[in-house]
Amino acid sequence: MNTLAIARIDWRRLAVRPFAWTLAGIVLAMMAWQFLLAVAAFMHVQPNVAGANAGLGFTDTVVAPYLLNFIQLCLVVAPLVTMQALAGDRRDQRLALLQACGASGTAIVLGKFAARLAFLWLLLAVAATMPLVLAPATHPDWGQFAAALVASALCVAALTAIGLACSAFTAQPALAATAALLIGEAFSLIDAGVRLTGGDGGWLGYLALHTHLAPAMRGLVRSEDLVYFVLITALALALAIRRVDAERERD
Amino acid sequence: MLQGVSFTLERGDTLALLGVNGAGKSTTLSIIAGVLAADGGQVRIDGRDIANGVSARRRVGWVPETVPLWPELTVTEALDACGRLHGLSAPARRVASTRELARLDLGAVARRRCGQLSLGQKRRVGLAQALLSAPDLLVLDEPGNGLDPLQAAQLRALIKALRPDHGIVVSSHLLGEVAAMCTRMVILNAGRVEHDGPLDAKPGALDAWFRAGTNGLAAA
Repeated sequence: MNTLAIARIDWRRLAVRPFAWTLAGIVLAMMAWQFLLAVAAFMHVQPNVAGANAGLGFTDTVVAPYLLNFIQLCLVVAPLVTMQALAGDRRDQRLALLQACGASGTAIVLGKFAARLAFLWLLLAVAATMPLVLAPATHPDWGQFAAALVASALCVAALTAIGLACSAFTAQPALAATAALLIGEAFSLIDAGVRLTGGDGGWLGYLALHTHLAPAMRGLVRSEDLVYFVLITALALALAIRRVDAERERD
Repeated sequence: MLQGVSFTLERGDTLALLGVNGAGKSTTLSIIAGVLAADGGQVRIDGRDIANGVSARRRVGWVPETVPLWPELTVTEALDACGRLHGLSAPARRVASTRELARLDLGAVARRRCGQLSLGQKRRVGLAQALLSAPDLLVLDEPGNGLDPLQAAQLRALIKALRPDHGIVVSSHLLGEVAAMCTRMVILNAGRVEHDGPLDAKPGALDAWFRAGTNGLAAA
C-alpha cells in the first residue's frame, strides 16, 4: 500500500516538474532526428538490398539501431531522472518523513523505482511509436520488434535501478548522477576493448550490456539475457533498500 | 549519544525538551518519532513499542526542524499524500484534510504549491501533515525557529490549543516560548536527563532551572 502511495507521490512530482518535461522533450526530439536519419539511410540503400536473399529489412536497419540509440541516451537520462529520488529526499528530510509515516525501506525504494521506471517506459513507448507509424509501408518483423522492445525495457529498468542505488548512497544528487553515469557507461563499454581486439570477451563480455542487447535486437530472446537484466535490477534495488533501512540505524 | 534517557508523558501534557546544541534533543525526538532506531530501550505508546509495528508508529506525529514538504505538490495534494501514507481511506483523507486546513488556517493557500509558501506557512503545513492521522503524541523539533514574532505567537497559541487532545513534546532554545506553552520540562545535558519536572510558569524561574540544569556543560 505504501509502495503505491510513494509511487503516486513521485509520479505526481515528476509530472509537474519542468525538468522532467524538458528532459522528455529533448529525448524525443533526439530520437525523432535519429529516426529520420535512419529512415533516410534505409531508403538510400533499399534498392540495392531489395533483391538480395538475405537482405536486411526495416527492423534490422532502422528499428534495432534506433532502440540501441535510445539505450545510449538512457545511460545519461536514467541518472538524471533518478538522482533526486533518494539523495534529494534525504537532504530535505522527506525520507525521514516517509519513515515516520511507517514506510519501510522496501516500500520507499520500490515506490520511487516504479514512478521513475513508468516515466522512462513511457518515453520508450512514445519513441517506439515512431517506427510503428511506418509499419503499413515497411512490414516490420513483429517478433524481432517485440524482442528488441522487451530487451530495451529491461535494460532501462536495470539503468533506473542502478541510478536509484547510487542515489541511496549519497545526499548529493549531482554525485548520485555522476556515479550512476559512470557505472552505466562501464557496463556499456566494459567489453569494448576485448571486442575491438577480436577476443570473445569472457566474463567481461558477459557483464557488458551490449552482449545481452545484441541477440534481442536480432529477434532472439534468450533466458540468460533476461536473467542478466533482472539480476542487475534486483541487486541494485536490494542495495538501495539495505541502505535506506540502515538510515534508521545511523545517527 | 543518549544514556538512560527516560520520561513519560500523559495526554494533555506539553513537555519541553531543553538543552544546549549537541545535548541530544533532536536525537531523542527522532527516536520517539521512529525515524532513528535506538541501540537499546523502547519508546512505548499505550504500552506498545513503536519499533514493533507501523500502527504504533503512526500514532506519533512528527515535525522536524526542517519541515519536510514536497515542493511540487499543492498543500491539498501534500495532505492527501500524507493521508495515503498513513493508510487513511479516501473519505477519511478528505475529512482529515478539511479539518486540518481549517484548524491551521491554511484554506487560503490550499491550492498553492508547498515550495511557494512562507516559512510560517510551511511550518503550519508540516503540523497539518503530522496531525492528519490524529496522533496521540506530537513531536515538534524547534517549531519556532525562523518565525517572526507574530507567527511565533500564533504557533504557540496553536500548540496550546492542541494540548487537550495530544501529548506534545517540544524541543526549543527559546525559553520564553517554552514558558508560554509547556507544562513540564526535561533538561538534557550530554545525552543524560539533568532535570525532569513541572514547569514553573515564571520565565525567571525557568531560566534559573535551565542554568542549573546545564551548569556543568556551560562551565566546560
